[in-house]
Amino acid sequence: MGTAVRRHLLVPILLLLAACGGRPAPPPALTPVPTAAVSGPRSGGTVVVGILTDVDNWNPFLVSTSTAEDILALLYPTLAVEQVDYRDHPPSFTPNLAESWEFSPDRLQLTFRLRPGAVWSDGVPVTARDVVFSWKARISPVLGWGGSELQERIASVTALDDRTVRFTYHFAYPYQLMDANDGPIVPAHAWEGIPFETWERVDWSRHILSAGPFVHASHEPQQQIIFERNPRHWRKGHPRLDRIVWRVLPDQSNLITQLKTGSIDLMEGIPPIEAEHVRQHPRLELIVFSDRSYGYVGWNNRNPLFRDRRVRRALTLAIDRTTLLDTVLRGFGRLGVGPVLSTMWAFNHELEPLPHDPGEARRLLEQAGWRDRDGDGILDRNGRPFRFELLTNAGNQVREDICLLIRDQLARVGIEARPRFIEWGALISRLQRGEFEAYVSAWREATQVDLAPIWHSAPPGEPTMNYVGYSNPQVDRLLARVGRLSTIEAQKPVLDRIQALIVRDQPYTFLYEGERLDGLNTRVRGAVINDATPYFNVDEWWVWDDPS
Amino acid sequence: MPPARPAGLRGEPVLRFALRRLLTAIPVLWLVVTLTFVVVHAVPGSTVDLLDNPRLGPHEREVMRQHFGLDLPLHVQYVRWLGGIARGDLGVSFLYRQPVRTVVVRALPPTLLLTGSALLLDLLLGIGLAVLAVARHRSWFDRVTTVLSLGLYGMPAFWLAGLAILVFSLKLGWLPASHLHSLDAASLPPAARLADLLRHLVLPAGILGLAGAASTARYLRASLLDVRDSRFLLAARARGIPPWRILWIHALRPALLPLVTILGLSLPFLVSGSLVIEVIFAWPGMGRVMWTAAWARDIPVILAVTLLGAVAVIVGNLLADILYAIVDPRARSW
Repeated sequence: MGTAVRRHLLVPILLLLAACGGRPAPPPALTPVPTAAVSGPRSGGTVVVGILTDVDNWNPFLVSTSTAEDILALLYPTLAVEQVDYRDHPPSFTPNLAESWEFSPDRLQLTFRLRPGAVWSDGVPVTARDVVFSWKARISPVLGWGGSELQERIASVTALDDRTVRFTYHFAYPYQLMDANDGPIVPAHAWEGIPFETWERVDWSRHILSAGPFVHASHEPQQQIIFERNPRHWRKGHPRLDRIVWRVLPDQSNLITQLKTGSIDLMEGIPPIEAEHVRQHPRLELIVFSDRSYGYVGWNNRNPLFRDRRVRRALTLAIDRTTLLDTVLRGFGRLGVGPVLSTMWAFNHELEPLPHDPGEARRLLEQAGWRDRDGDGILDRNGRPFRFELLTNAGNQVREDICLLIRDQLARVGIEARPRFIEWGALISRLQRGEFEAYVSAWREATQVDLAPIWHSAPPGEPTMNYVGYSNPQVDRLLARVGRLSTIEAQKPVLDRIQALIVRDQPYTFLYEGERLDGLNTRVRGAVINDATPYFNVDEWWVWDDPS
Repeated sequence: MPPARPAGLRGEPVLRFALRRLLTAIPVLWLVVTLTFVVVHAVPGSTVDLLDNPRLGPHEREVMRQHFGLDLPLHVQYVRWLGGIARGDLGVSFLYRQPVRTVVVRALPPTLLLTGSALLLDLLLGIGLAVLAVARHRSWFDRVTTVLSLGLYGMPAFWLAGLAILVFSLKLGWLPASHLHSLDAASLPPAARLADLLRHLVLPAGILGLAGAASTARYLRASLLDVRDSRFLLAARARGIPPWRILWIHALRPALLPLVTILGLSLPFLVSGSLVIEVIFAWPGMGRVMWTAAWARDIPVILAVTLLGAVAVIVGNLLADILYAIVDPRARSW
């Protein structure tokens, strides 16, 4: 397939399990927030973040969870910072370890100037050598770093001098800066002597350095991580916090409890059912933002039941997605439209969500030959009733509820969906083998728009995420073409066309575009939390109540 | 029910006996790990697909599959893994990308602390309650403890844990609801640090121990009632030995014999920890390691923990046999 994928994710089992039901106990020993008394930012204090999973490895090239990746990014920063301004254009970048960058006139070379004040926590300056070494780690096949495939478009990385490093590309394309910036910068002077082949046998907690706002102070596995202010950080007066602490709590309901009691200040991924409790809590703020995910029903396009485009359209029309959004998701999200999120620059603004129209659904089904001939309330064709199994991963309350709602709504047009909840690994394995009729899941969309992994009809045997077996030769051709266009302006019309075709074909029913809910204690000030990372501007955070 | 006497213990030096038993255990261990190997590979889904890492696309996951050797035929993977075990190498965790040994060794002490304290509480409370219940046989105390212990025995640990957190942490604020230490425990003097650890231990160990004590008490009560009517106790009573002494010494000793077996058999519990309790209380032990590994299909870790559990079962059985022979002279001849 040759196309790259980035940050595509089956949003898995984490955003789930809303346990506690009743009203929370009034928090003891909390004083009201004297909003008026709060003046400007001040330095000092500690923020405690609750996380479900511990940092699994202290080498950023070996971590396997986003939680760990986000935390390690505070020690091993990137050259630039990707902004979340992707609504009207691909994301822009602000300087970080690099203070500036410049393309050659033919756009085949990108040269970064490193920030003079950037040093590792042992005092050694951050140099071009670090950047070259980090790039070697990105592409090392023994490390198998996620994102390595994107680096194939980069031909070489060379250090011109200590502070200047040049990326050379095979060809020009819209995401050259994004790819060069994709990946942490790690210390060559400390790690270069350790061959990549042995990295998995190394205790990386003994080799931690930092070029970011914080330094690693301590780690008790599965318990807590403490970072302290990096006195050598290039940005003077920052970070404001003395410390940031992560408490590992594998139980989500316990995490929510501790957020409410004030034991932790920040928690990612509040289940929608808990949102009101958090919002009404006097010391908590509910932060809501698009998490670049969309939920969908995948219809197995190879299955005789769903092979007909009219049938798939009818299924979408029969499902009342507004109700779904209002009940299951408590209103957090927007209606799904197509394969590109409506908040993304690449979205085709001529497309609109399909309406809820059971009458039209019945008409389309009849056109496709589905009628209730035996009077049992279920449509049939050639003696076969319209009945199928609707899968999702067990334990994800939101998705289980969605399945039940879909069952009820499809029953009204004479279709029998039988929800079945199976373990996540078992589900993925069935999807990969195409052994399913329909399933409910979600994708997270990358800021680098690439529709091929999900929508291209990959040749058999190729690894793909096109589980539903969608195959439209026209879409295949357009996907191949868009990969060869070197500018966004040239890509956009083709992307629009692809979206229109996919929405017409309805290989999925696009249910909703998701939002993430985070809970933050109001003692934490100045925090900007977004879908890039919870620690987006962590060096600006401050707390108002700390006695020190 | 006392166990059958260890076959072959009669007339054999205890050390030789132990050695012989351990050697015959090797095929059993091999069978256990082989079966586990087959089962974990038969379970649908693989680590590579389950990794919650948005950076991994299908091609990158394929590279990873090859890197972990998951693309090799099963028998090749098996021989590789067994060869590693024979050399004492448990492999590298797919999830942590670190040696399995590191992952397991780091989880063992917290689990031993938790399960050891739970077992201690289990025995002390279980024995105490049983003896008191028998001393006041058919009294209200007996009835209340019977109902309570049956109730406790039947309660799911996760429910009991939730209730305990609600009452003791949230409402009363007496005890911490999770973790080994408080946030700033590292800066405390040693004595205060120990006290902090113990405070964190109370809820998880208490719940584990209480559930165990309930069954121990039921078990021992039945055993004591059996012994109570035996002739040697009648003789003791006839000699005018005070009732408390008869109960606590003369009756308890024979009644405790089955407990020795239970003790030996609890070794696997000691090393493998409690999955539910460790997850709820964020206790960094073996149960958590196994839980995470099972979700993530981290096969090297699953196999290593199973191996450890199997070894513990075998050693525990052996210990039970030997202990039994030590406390019951009828069962030994060395």
